[in-house]
Amino acid sequence: MPEKNTRRIVLRPLQTELIAPAGSALRDLLFAQGVEFPCGGQGRCRGCRVRVLEGQASVNEAQRERLSAEEISQGWRLACQCALEDDLVIELRQWDAAILVDETPFAFEPRPGLGVAVDLGTTTLVTQLLDLRTGHVLAVRTALNSQARFGADIMSRVQFAVPKAGAQQLRDLIRQQIGSLIEQLVFAAQVPEGEITDVVVVGNTVMHHLFCGLDVEPLSRYPFESEHLGLQTFRSGDLGWKLSGHTRVRFLPCLGGFVGSDILAGILATRLSEREGLNGLVDLGTNGEIVIGNRQRLLCASTAAGPAFEGARISMGMRASTGAISEVKVEDHSIHCRVLGNVPPQGLCGSGLVDAVAAGLELGRIQPSGRFTDGAGAWELAAPVVLTQSDIRELQLAKGAIAAGIRTLLDRFGASAGDLKKLYLAGAFGNYINRVSAQRIGLISFPAEKVEAAGNTALLGAKLALFCPEGEDGSFARLRQQTEHVALNADQDFQDTFVEEMAFPNMRARAWELDAGETPEPNTPSLEPRI
Amino acid sequence: MTQFEELQQAIIDGKAPVSKALTEKMLKEGIRPGEFFPKAIIPAMDEVGRRMRECEFFIPEVLIAARAARASSDILRPLLVGDEAISSAGTVVCGTVKGDLHDIGKNIVAMMLESAGFKIVDLGVDVSAEKVVDAVRQHQANLVAMSALLTTTMVNMKSVVEALAAAGLRDKVKIMVGGAPVTDAWAHSIGADGYGKDAPAAVELARQLSAA
Repeated sequence: MPEKNTRRIVLRPLQTELIAPAGSALRDLLFAQGVEFPCGGQGRCRGCRVRVLEGQASVNEAQRERLSAEEISQGWRLACQCALEDDLVIELRQWDAAILVDETPFAFEPRPGLGVAVDLGTTTLVTQLLDLRTGHVLAVRTALNSQARFGADIMSRVQFAVPKAGAQQLRDLIRQQIGSLIEQLVFAAQVPEGEITDVVVVGNTVMHHLFCGLDVEPLSRYPFESEHLGLQTFRSGDLGWKLSGHTRVRFLPCLGGFVGSDILAGILATRLSEREGLNGLVDLGTNGEIVIGNRQRLLCASTAAGPAFEGARISMGMRASTGAISEVKVEDHSIHCRVLGNVPPQGLCGSGLVDAVAAGLELGRIQPSGRFTDGAGAWELAAPVVLTQSDIRELQLAKGAIAAGIRTLLDRFGASAGDLKKLYLAGAFGNYINRVSAQRIGLISFPAEKVEAAGNTALLGAKLALFCPEGEDGSFARLRQQTEHVALNADQDFQDTFVEEMAFPNMRARAWELDAGETPEPNTPSLEPRI
Repeated sequence: MTQFEELQQAIIDGKAPVSKALTEKMLKEGIRPGEFFPKAIIPAMDEVGRRMRECEFFIPEVLIAARAARASSDILRPLLVGDEAISSAGTVVCGTVKGDLHDIGKNIVAMMLESAGFKIVDLGVDVSAEKVVDAVRQHQANLVAMSALLTTTMVNMKSVVEALAAAGLRDKVKIMVGGAPVTDAWAHSIGADGYGKDAPAAVELARQLSAA
């Protein structure tokens, strides 16, 4: 092959072809194509693996540690560890995913001008342009958070941002990205940008700090509390955005720990703080957040539980997009899988994972302990997609953390699951998860009809905040006073509850509870409960 | 089934009341306290470790089995005298590093090491390097086992290694590290003596390091 300074790379199944300088990091090339790097490209996970179909990509120590010899011989590589040394044809494990926007009608008081609502997620970004006179959504733009190449979860993002240079890089990246999304909104709606009077941004505490240029170091270690949780107000000129320089940009305040303004917005959207009875909000994103409360008092908490529900750390996990098994049903003692996009199955997304385990429990293939009954290492759902024993373990950790979080907050009210009037499930996963399966695996321990998919409550809440009455600056002082953050990590009972909730509910007990039409007791594993 | 096998089974099944009662009964029948470890507790926890490694057991089962092992060993330890005292396996100072509160993994490792015959000094979570140094001195430990579950806190393992060196104790102890973000390469880079990828591996590593 003649020497040349550029290399060609073809990405399947998209058939995207790229030319790049020889030696370019695959991480940078693929990130631009929307591929995510869960551990921040440090070779510590398997999330970015790609299969080399043609050409050579070298294997280093980090890859030998994470990939089996068989996988390596089949061409599997960790993209973050490879450079473009040869012309390559590779197959991507990840696919573009649908991002949840919000179209819920809402009540508002008309105001002059246009506004932009931004849901700044760890993984995804959603922006909407609104006419504040009519409440109409004029345009929507979504994107993957461009910081994600430096770590998919918030802790790796924090780690990257503890050195000042890293923090500045992440701050500049996200400000630029949101600025350019707003330009796209203006272009799409064909409106004069000068009419935009207000921008409201919501996000978790790490996103808040990174966008606002606040020090994230306090969020890197126990007790994970920052002193700078309040409302941050900017002028668009300060952010380098091409709007009239005086547009007000507000990043709404956080609630405590990692629980940020996306959850504050969620409380606004679900009106949790105005309700008489006890209600809950669970947002299963990259991080899992929980709020329980009523008009007197609200408790909130976060757990690092999300990744499994988004397909991370699952052997054939993927996001809810083309090729993902999104539903598994049991009919006549056998399973039937639904694949998104009507193509051959390629992997398993969060809702499919929950369904698959629920089906395994129903068929007796999986025991309440989480173990495969036949002792096998994997169960083929639909060739070539399998559910492995360690996938079930990952799900047990994730669902155990959420279920234990809900229980711990309910305990603080002296309440049990039966006292909860409604549980709102926010986020994309909440929209797609089968509520009966969620109950079957013990993610929620109350009847499915009490669970309501609430959509993108962060975005809806941000929109509501655009219509803040005159005089209310968006600091939400009363709501913040009413809301207490509970540090689950520091709660010894939580650790015990977490271990208890890792097991799956016993089928017979559950069936009896449902037959009797009673509220199920909190999940009782077949193991002895207290450790 | 011999009584030792029965006790093994009770531990593997996580039946703490059964293992306690059996231990008391066997002692009454004249079995020496020192025999329980090699004949029942250590093989039972090795089996638990094997099942954990093969994904057959998960965190709840392991914790419950370890608790059953402890129900037996708590009775036995005060009775061990002279040659039977099991200090020979070594003394381990363990904890979760400063800034980190995750303790489930650390607890499992501690309990499995204890069942393998090590004396455990568990410093808990959010443990400073100074605290480790003090404990090593006070208990004349020969092993230090540190855990971290966050990428942001695992750097504090390095502080522990450095503090032990500064205190002149580095050649007195072997240091092992573990936790989700930790790797063999990381252990090496901070000057630790070994990395255990899971609890059974940590027990194996502790045995090797103690023997070295």
